[in-house]
Amino acid sequence: MTGRVFVANRGEIAVRIIEACARLGLETVLGVSTADRDTLGARRADRVVVLGGPRPADSYLAQETVVQAALSTGCTAVHPGYGFLSERPSFARLCADNGLTFVGPDPSAMEALGDKLRARELAESLGVPVSPGGTADSLAEVTALAQRIGYPVLIKAAHGGGGRGMKLVDSPAELAAAWAVASSEALAAFGDGTVFLERYVRDAKHVEVQVLGDGHGHRVHLGERECSVQYRYQKVVEEAPCVALPDDARRLLHDSALRIADALDYRSLGTVEFLYDVERGQLSFLEVNPRLQVEHPVTEAVTGVDLVREQLLVALGEPLSFRQDDVHVRGHAIEARVTAQDPAQGLRPSPGPVKRWRPPARGGLRFDSHVVEDYAFPPFYDALMGKLIAFGDDRAQAIDRLGTGLAEFEIAGLPTSKDLLERIVREPAFLTGEVTTHWLTDLLEEAA
Amino acid sequence: MDLDLEELAAVIELLDKADFTDFRYEKGDLRIAVRRGGPPLADDATPRQVAPARSAVASTPVVPSPQVAPARSAVAPTAPEDGTVLIRSGMLGTFYRSPKPGDPPFVEIGDKVETDSVVGIVEVMKLMNSVAAGVAGEVTAVHAQNGDLVEFDQPLISVRPIA
Repeated sequence: MTGRVFVANRGEIAVRIIEACARLGLETVLGVSTADRDTLGARRADRVVVLGGPRPADSYLAQETVVQAALSTGCTAVHPGYGFLSERPSFARLCADNGLTFVGPDPSAMEALGDKLRARELAESLGVPVSPGGTADSLAEVTALAQRIGYPVLIKAAHGGGGRGMKLVDSPAELAAAWAVASSEALAAFGDGTVFLERYVRDAKHVEVQVLGDGHGHRVHLGERECSVQYRYQKVVEEAPCVALPDDARRLLHDSALRIADALDYRSLGTVEFLYDVERGQLSFLEVNPRLQVEHPVTEAVTGVDLVREQLLVALGEPLSFRQDDVHVRGHAIEARVTAQDPAQGLRPSPGPVKRWRPPARGGLRFDSHVVEDYAFPPFYDALMGKLIAFGDDRAQAIDRLGTGLAEFEIAGLPTSKDLLERIVREPAFLTGEVTTHWLTDLLEEAA
Repeated sequence: MDLDLEELAAVIELLDKADFTDFRYEKGDLRIAVRRGGPPLADDATPRQVAPARSAVASTPVVPSPQVAPARSAVAPTAPEDGTVLIRSGMLGTFYRSPKPGDPPFVEIGDKVETDSVVGIVEVMKLMNSVAAGVAGEVTAVHAQNGDLVEFDQPLISVRPIA
């Protein structure tokens, strides 16, 4: 395969994309900020161009600059990774208008999914379970709606996502003010003040389904992941499969995800997120992320499918090389995100010099990272340093390997989340697989 | 073979229409070297060197090259020669040395510039951004060619400040 791909991202995912391209015979051009000139990704790419200064708005988010750089270096495709420009329909359109293949879904699918209220209505229309909710214009209608849903309710921004722009309301007295504040915050943060109500499910697991579609009408799911270990909506530990799901709930989950992908004639990788209320045995649709996910390696570990490779191939017009019947989930995989965050300081970002960095190397472990010893971890971007993924025949073996790997991992120079990760994999609630999305936040904030 | 001035002018006019950066002609004791910007050729610092013609530089086609061979990043920490100031690109884009195709370049080596003198243009997605000298002085080197992709912070022009 020949071609040249512009990598419009940084950090560990830039390294991952460069590696996937190289194995397909595709050349890569990496666009970097001045803060990222001397990084592992810059060393691995065939060519590097400096987009702008360290601030994301001046480099990784500068749409025109990225497209100009891709065109001027002779690239024919742009991989946006996750974050940054990956979920911007305007960027996907700009690429298309300039003859560049955007490695992601069609802009129209991104728009439909980027509006959480529209996505929710789509799910509902397809018979996919959603938690009771909706939206209304007048305060009287909103109050009546909240009454029907039952308190506590969650106010969400239609253009938010990933926990951003949410407000929890416990009683009718708080509703009017919260609705007004949420709407003006959403307008300021996302450029659209549309908000909606949903029943708040307190004790739920976060489960999500990996879907993949080509441009030829084929779509498959690659099983589910569980990402309940979160701190303030930031995922910390993820695994595949989710052991708490009964078979009928798992079938409904996979089937629901595929129904949404089918309705959109979805092309590329996508993740359909749900909450699973363990006590009531109820699934409810959350949102769809139309991009590669940080936690994709756990799915790769249990299915044997190289997701980034498949994503590139379908973007370049190839039909999927396998069908649903060919997808088998075997064993168990767990990913721990090692971040430059200080657990002793409420997981405050802790950039600084990485004086010692000795990741474990042993059977059943995979390590995705852009960090090397003596790297100065920059303060401008997200805190992810690396992802340690353990694979085992079953969950117990995967946990055991992850614990051993973390214990052998030597890091010095800056505080990281490593100690917290070691603690999490020893916690009884984690070992029994019963944690829900507020478990880690409770654990850390009770201690504080 | 001997060239008179008229023939030399004809040669340069021909070159003017060609896409080249370096041209060398040698026959017997006659040597001609013509180049567009960039560092001098290794052995062309001879008394017979023909100075780069203004028009030859100005007429480089103002068309971004669609295919650029992969190479390492062009941004290298260049240590400016003693006493000169590097004018760097404030953005990634296509560099143009003249206001429009066919026009003479904004500046050439030896030209005097003021702080607000325009020394080039960087185009990003059809938006033209002029590059100001930012320093008053004399142009001592031109580091980027017309039509080049220049990166953020890449050195474009050297100026020796005049106190």
